[in-house]
Amino acid sequence: MNRKYAFVLLAALALMVGLAAPAAAQGKTLTVSWPQEPDSLNPMYTTMTFAGYTYQLFLAATWEFDENYELVPILVGEIPSAGNGGISEDGTTFTLKLKDGLTWSDGDPLDSADFVFTYEMYMSDKNTPLTRTPWEEFESIEAPDPTTVVIKFAEPYAPWSGQLSLRPIPEHILRPVFEADGTLDNAAWNSNPTVGSGAFILQEWDRGNFARFAPNPNFAMGAPKIETLVVTFIPDDQAYVASLEAGDSELGTFIDPRDVPRLQDAGLDVRLIPSGYNEGWFLNASPERAHPAMTDLRVRKAIALGFDRFSMVEDLLGGVLPVGHSYWEQTPYANPDLPPVPYDPEQAKALLDEAGWVDTNGNGIRDKDGVELELRFISTTRQIRQDMKALAQQQLGEIGIGISIENYESNVFFNGYAEGGPAATGQYDIATWSSSPGGFPDPDTNRFQCDQVPSDDNPVGGNWNYYCDPALDELFAKSRVTTDFDERVAIYHQIDKLIYDSYIWINTWYDADIWVVGSRVQNARLNGTTPFFDVVNWDVAG
Amino acid sequence: MSRYIIRRLIQAVPLLFFISIVLFLLMQASGDPLATLGGRQPPRAEDRERLKRQMGLDQPPLVQYFIWLVGNDWMVVNDETGETGARRGVIRGDFGTSFVTRQPVIEVIWERMPNTLILMGTAEVVIIIVSLTIGVISAVRQYSLLDTVATGFSFVAYSIPVFLMGLMLMYIFAVRFRQWGLPYLPISGMFDPTVGRTFDQIARHLVLPVMTISLISIATYSRYIRSTMLEVINSDYIRTARAKGLSERRTLFVHAFKNASLPIVTLIGLDLPFLLAGAVVTETIFAWPGMGRLFIDHLTRSDYPVLMGLLMMISVAVVIFQLLTDVVYTWLDPRIRYT
Repeated sequence: MNRKYAFVLLAALALMVGLAAPAAAQGKTLTVSWPQEPDSLNPMYTTMTFAGYTYQLFLAATWEFDENYELVPILVGEIPSAGNGGISEDGTTFTLKLKDGLTWSDGDPLDSADFVFTYEMYMSDKNTPLTRTPWEEFESIEAPDPTTVVIKFAEPYAPWSGQLSLRPIPEHILRPVFEADGTLDNAAWNSNPTVGSGAFILQEWDRGNFARFAPNPNFAMGAPKIETLVVTFIPDDQAYVASLEAGDSELGTFIDPRDVPRLQDAGLDVRLIPSGYNEGWFLNASPERAHPAMTDLRVRKAIALGFDRFSMVEDLLGGVLPVGHSYWEQTPYANPDLPPVPYDPEQAKALLDEAGWVDTNGNGIRDKDGVELELRFISTTRQIRQDMKALAQQQLGEIGIGISIENYESNVFFNGYAEGGPAATGQYDIATWSSSPGGFPDPDTNRFQCDQVPSDDNPVGGNWNYYCDPALDELFAKSRVTTDFDERVAIYHQIDKLIYDSYIWINTWYDADIWVVGSRVQNARLNGTTPFFDVVNWDVAG
Repeated sequence: MSRYIIRRLIQAVPLLFFISIVLFLLMQASGDPLATLGGRQPPRAEDRERLKRQMGLDQPPLVQYFIWLVGNDWMVVNDETGETGARRGVIRGDFGTSFVTRQPVIEVIWERMPNTLILMGTAEVVIIIVSLTIGVISAVRQYSLLDTVATGFSFVAYSIPVFLMGLMLMYIFAVRFRQWGLPYLPISGMFDPTVGRTFDQIARHLVLPVMTISLISIATYSRYIRSTMLEVINSDYIRTARAKGLSERRTLFVHAFKNASLPIVTLIGLDLPFLLAGAVVTETIFAWPGMGRLFIDHLTRSDYPVLMGLLMMISVAVVIFQLLTDVVYTWLDPRIRYT
């Protein structure tokens, strides 16, 4: 090689080393990373988990949940109860008393009028909020004085503790926009909410890159200790884990269980945080839509007994997430007397024999009246589900149940009844996905009830099992008007038992969120729905 | 020549119309934007029905296409109030609003365009310089040590999938180097948010993604250049040039290289429009806020307005760059004439 080339090579190397010099250390900066970027930062326009986590930083709620899902008052002085007059005797009227002197980050007063305005915006047909829950359930909302919000319902409202954790949006910023544009849909504040009420204020959101926050001195709970909070977005799973491992990111979640040992080896604090989700098998019990065998309880029970979920969670999930039994796993609403369904292929075979499904033609698959016991097992394309279905195909095959596997992109899989979604229209026998009671930590759900069976007249029904037991309906209806916590828990224990015994939903694993906390982060108390409930007290070392 | 260019541009109009119809109909099959709304739970069916109506997704696909194309500001959209729509349509420069971020599509794309141009432009420059150097030297010094090493490198680089290349480079230069106490490169992003968008920061964050994109392309380009150069330097006119006593440098760079570059120009001309499209995999791995990642993010949400905007922009770029490539041909090879 001649001298000229050697020089060029050296220069290139020098440039690389120069560029690679580590960045200067910063003060109290915390870098949080999400695997997905929020679509909007206005709660009206997003249902994304990571948008929800992010807007909690700059938008305060009436109250938040702590790590044990106890209520922590933020904008209200105290949590409403029958004792303090916050909840009327009949359970239909809720009086929220705001703290005195609350302000937005720009100093403008935050008062009850902001709540009424937020209600108007959710309900206006000129806006397209992604969901109107819980606002559309209000019979009325009034602001008799600046610190009092009175919300009335037509019936006793049991899910108040989860649903009335309301985050008002700033009327003084958004009312003029709504009046000028006729809608909030395109408001600049949705992408650039620099006025807020939370522990932090947004300084800059550089889309695709990061969002940077500074402390809000006007926050109802005082100013946070962290001086700069940066949220970065790293969409690739492996790069995400590498970033946490290297310490570039100091808080993250949605970690694949198989990456847990690697992160623990790097000295990071890995936590399982409940967020209401459980991966489970939905068994279709529709006489019209499912395989004829599926209406037989013995067949459904045999499916549950014939699949070894315990070794599956070891093999596919590294034993990080356990097998559960309940749709309300690890919450007070789960019936504590029920064990996970065991793996018992012999009992499964006996049940199938008893139900009349035997292999008469020697092809390895049971049959009855000329119908083969060949079931459709559907899910999204997520790898772990595909692996699970392959395992199920093998194990259920051993007890004589044939399984045909179908995969769908998630945006097709979750299509509703009107759009012909495979799960919603019952085009399956077994379907697996991770689901949660919609308003977690509130336990209420629109699944498992007769009046929620989808049809042309009721395309919005959420009972994609097509299973109907009037006793369940009655219990769910009762739970919705029971405002007493202990009474409601007792009702849910009965609901849980009925679902468990009907084998229409089988918990395959308790799908807690896996959070990783960096070694510099101090006092980080977390929960799965409002992880930043106590961010004001977080700190970073050195 | 100018008549030729004008004719080609006029011909492009029906072509782009056709492309837009095909793409729009394909979008309908890509999924329902209201199926997940990005959440972990499917949205409540009541909300879906309402949003479908509010966002005009309850209209038949051809009506939606028509509105996308010419707008609905002349149509009554609300019979009760006599209100007309607010969209002006693509032919009047309105690409609509993203379903996901509610920003105008043009704004969504403009935000990302410079980032992608920085990444892809740098990568393209690196690719051209390095592959020309390797290709020409390999041809001139055929079967030398350098040629053998370059050939070996090409086969290795060409056979590594881009995601593996990216993750390997990241793991070595960002994660391991840091653990070993060596100067290390950043893992992801375009610059450190606490420092800001400085030249130094962007350059540092560019190194790994540019290496990822360029290594594979260098491998292919340098092979092309080597073979076309070999073909040319063994031709009669080069022998004549040498026989006339021209210097080796002049023979190679003026006579041989200009003729050898025709196929390379074709290659680059076809590649350039995709500079705008960004590099989907590399941008995703290194969290580079470019167009490739934009495309993937919005594809997973079936955000037709943004996808249509991106795809139409790339279609226009392909048409323009192909025309430019044809024009460059006439300069490189005077025998080529367009009438």
